Amino acid sequence: MTATQGFQEAKISTAPTRQKPRREGFSLLQFALLLLFCVYSLLPLWWVITTMTKDNSQLYSTFGLWFSSPSHFVDNLRTLFTRDDGIFVRWLINSIIYAGASAVGSMLFAAMGGYAFSKFNFRGRDSLFNAILATIMVPSTALALPIFLLMQNIGLINTYWAVILPGLVNPFGLYLMRLFWDAGFPTELMDAARVDGASESKIFWQLGLPLVSGGLVTVALFSFVGAWNNFFLPLVVVNKDTLFPLTLGLSVWNQTSVSSGQDPIYTVIVLGALISILPLIIAFLSLGRYWQGGLASGAVKG
Amino acid sequence: MRNRATPWFFLTPFLLAFTAFFITPVGYALYLSLFIKKRSGFGPAKNVFGGLTNYVRAFQDSDFLHSLLNILLFLVIQVPLMLLVATTLALILDSVKNGFAQRFFRTAFYLPYTVPGVIAGLLWGYLYSKNLSPLNQITGLKTDFLSSGILLFSIGNIVTWTWTGYNMITLYAALQNVPPDIYEAARIDGASNWNVTRYVKLPLLRPALTLTGIFSVIGTMQIFSEPFVLRPLGYVPDNITPNTYLYLAVARDGNFGYGAALAIVMALFTFILSGFFLRNVRGEA
Amino acid sequence: MKKTALKSAALLLSLALAASTAHAADPAFPKAPSGPVTLEVWSWVPGLDKTVAAFTKQYPNIKIKILNLGGGPATYTKLQTAIKAGSGAPDVAQVEYGFLPAFADTGGLADLSKYGAGDYKKYFVPWTWGQVSPDGQAVYAIPQDTGPFAMVYRDDLLKKYNIAVPKTWADYAKAAATVKTKSGGSVKFGNFYSTFAPWFMALAWADGGQFFQRQGDGWTQTLNNASAKKVLNYWNDLIKKGQVGTLAGFSADYWNAAGAGKLATNMEAAWGPGGYAGSLGTKSAGMWRAAPLPQWTAGSSVKSGNWGGSSNVVTTQSKNPEAATLFALWLNLSSSAVTADWNNGGLFPASDAGLALPALAVTSKNPSKFFGGQNISSVYAQASRGVNVNFQWAPWFPFVNDNFSKQIDKMLKGQFTPNQALDAWQAESLAYAKQNGFTVK
Repeated sequence: MTATQGFQEAKISTAPTRQKPRREGFSLLQFALLLLFCVYSLLPLWWVITTMTKDNSQLYSTFGLWFSSPSHFVDNLRTLFTRDDGIFVRWLINSIIYAGASAVGSMLFAAMGGYAFSKFNFRGRDSLFNAILATIMVPSTALALPIFLLMQNIGLINTYWAVILPGLVNPFGLYLMRLFWDAGFPTELMDAARVDGASESKIFWQLGLPLVSGGLVTVALFSFVGAWNNFFLPLVVVNKDTLFPLTLGLSVWNQTSVSSGQDPIYTVIVLGALISILPLIIAFLSLGRYWQGGLASGAVKG
Repeated sequence: MRNRATPWFFLTPFLLAFTAFFITPVGYALYLSLFIKKRSGFGPAKNVFGGLTNYVRAFQDSDFLHSLLNILLFLVIQVPLMLLVATTLALILDSVKNGFAQRFFRTAFYLPYTVPGVIAGLLWGYLYSKNLSPLNQITGLKTDFLSSGILLFSIGNIVTWTWTGYNMITLYAALQNVPPDIYEAARIDGASNWNVTRYVKLPLLRPALTLTGIFSVIGTMQIFSEPFVLRPLGYVPDNITPNTYLYLAVARDGNFGYGAALAIVMALFTFILSGFFLRNVRGEA
Repeated sequence: MKKTALKSAALLLSLALAASTAHAADPAFPKAPSGPVTLEVWSWVPGLDKTVAAFTKQYPNIKIKILNLGGGPATYTKLQTAIKAGSGAPDVAQVEYGFLPAFADTGGLADLSKYGAGDYKKYFVPWTWGQVSPDGQAVYAIPQDTGPFAMVYRDDLLKKYNIAVPKTWADYAKAAATVKTKSGGSVKFGNFYSTFAPWFMALAWADGGQFFQRQGDGWTQTLNNASAKKVLNYWNDLIKKGQVGTLAGFSADYWNAAGAGKLATNMEAAWGPGGYAGSLGTKSAGMWRAAPLPQWTAGSSVKSGNWGGSSNVVTTQSKNPEAATLFALWLNLSSSAVTADWNNGGLFPASDAGLALPALAVTSKNPSKFFGGQNISSVYAQASRGVNVNFQWAPWFPFVNDNFSKQIDKMLKGQFTPNQALDAWQAESLAYAKQNGFTVK
């Protein structure tokens, strides 16, 4: 099966009219399996929810999977939003900026790059493409010092750019976008537009992009999640708590709770974590039909 | 204006960012890996050119090699298990007709992936407590999840918890792309459910499985935060995974040269493993 | 008789008052720079921004920018990277004593004796100066807070089992056996932190154990010294008999046991009680007390060791090392800063005068309040004065620290005897140090 077929089918699948073939024999055993795995996935998150209703000492003295008291929930909420002059809100905004910029930027870069790889035949195309993909294998722990030095040299340490710029590189996004262009934008269409005298940039922006919107959403969404949960990069390039994203901020609170022990706020941190994953859940739920198609077409070629 | 420059025009933004934030750091890491620390008496160590010394050391470093063995164990046990579960769930979910139930399960399975590493650590650290763990309290056991015999499996469990749903979604999405008429054809031919699964769906899943497999290999090689967040709670060996070992060489020991060499070796190892994996998958076809 | 007693009490009181007013006067600090200066400070001390408000008032020329980058390892990683990169390091940073030589070894720490820090040695508890100036000449940091060792215990449990507070380790072992019998094993008498090397080292430190020493042009490492062997064999014996637990420190299980009365005593540093108060809340509040560390010989003066505590370094990247030194000295010697750090973060002072500050003796606030209103600071102040002065760390201590857990794990599983564990600890750490180019034997 080629990527082209895969993608066309991906489009079919997102159409609401698709009729599923009737299937029988959805057995009790299958349902039990689903339920079992559901419990496995959700049980730890259930702990998160019950823990929000406890103060720190109850964390060590009450049953882990049941609630304690609504007033502790209110206290935790207040602490979360007022501690260190309400810096949690700042972290939330920072995360939105970092993840948002990474999502939009890497989506655009990947769309343009993927377009070039898909629609043009140039010298060294395939080896360049493979080389870019292979870099996924370099562990990011090793890049910490070089990236720090680089940012230092161009004077970007402790700026928003230090986190945003490296987040623009998304080799897997490039790969996905190439597949989308392969499948979603027929070369004949391009040639016809050229004959009509359309400029290259018009062909790309106005004709092409709308046809690969599923891919754009997919790449943007995965870049967003990647940047949202990124910990290592901000840890290295940002030394100011007003520039921390949520992950780094919560982890600093966590470490301070561990190392000073005077005023541990684990239950507040857990509440903060839950708030920090809410945007991701909402994004995935609301954009589900786009990215599923996107993932599938990525998977088709393998 | 269609000329040879056009593709490069479109490639420029990506390539610029890629060169600046990937190629340059990797190049610098390569350069760093050629330097070793030298001292005489007291005072700070000097970095002197050591050629391939760091690489020779890496291949003779039994602690590092042992961490690679742990990874192989993961690849033999955890990855197949995770993909098996993900495939099974995707196949079941594909036959769920109720739209709400389907969305519910999909979301439930997917949720763990959104939990940041720090929190996953707090969370599992609590669930792994010997006395306080609800798991032990409910089952009445006294499992010490962090004892050295079980530790690797406990880490495997966190990885499985985080990633199974993610992989399941990928596989499920691939199943959604199977044109309905294939099923119809099979059914007209009188194929049973099992036969449809075995001879129609599974082969169609192969590319998606290959992709998730490759990502699992790469991800496994870079396991870091799961063992790291468990360190304060018990004895977690420095070399439980290559990435923790590398991190400690850099962050704890300040040996940037050796850390860089380890990273290069790890990347090569990943490359070989992925290649091996691809070959086997393709070979079966 | 009664009168004379009163009289002498009055005399004592007036003496004490005189002494405390003498202490309350801060030493004369070095001169402030004439132009405006901004200092960046990396520290995870809670509430430090409020502490330094008094500094800016006194020295309006010097602006202080405080950054909390996370406790211990998180800050070290950043500091390590910045030093290696040659820029980006702060002027002042918080570093724990055990990690000082490792940072000194990078060449990134300024020698503060160049800025007159040596003159302030006399204001600090003697052993703390040994930590920041191992060779007595170069000064790598200004001592900030300390963790002298004492014993915390559950008063209610000791009464319940009719046990006197153990003064010697022999008493302690006897009491441990009694509690095991009487509780049927459900209450552990103590706890051995199997993954905290500095905790164990502090116990050996109290016995005069030495783990590292600079000698001539190289180092001597003796992780398997006689004191270490004595201490580890002692605890291993109690663990094997089931009288002492091995719960991970600061873990949920540990706090659960401590709060639920399943643990009768533990050896904790001066910053420990604050953690008990903060983590346990109302659970077991008022039931805890502190007493001096048990001793190996009865009737001897109280000897102690130290666990944790930190210092303030000035980096070589600082453009204003004089001002930075001034700040570090002020932060750790001025009574206002030391008082604020104690109140906000439970930092137990390294300065001699700090130990006598009235704020430490307040028993209506935590941690003393949690400890039944006992003035526990006086117990710890006594401990601090009993800490062995000549105790050194080595640059490769971070490795030694992690390697300890590995060997103890084997000991707890019965694969190693305590002596074998210590020998392996010594051997593997030595091999590591040599491989990293240190001259060490």
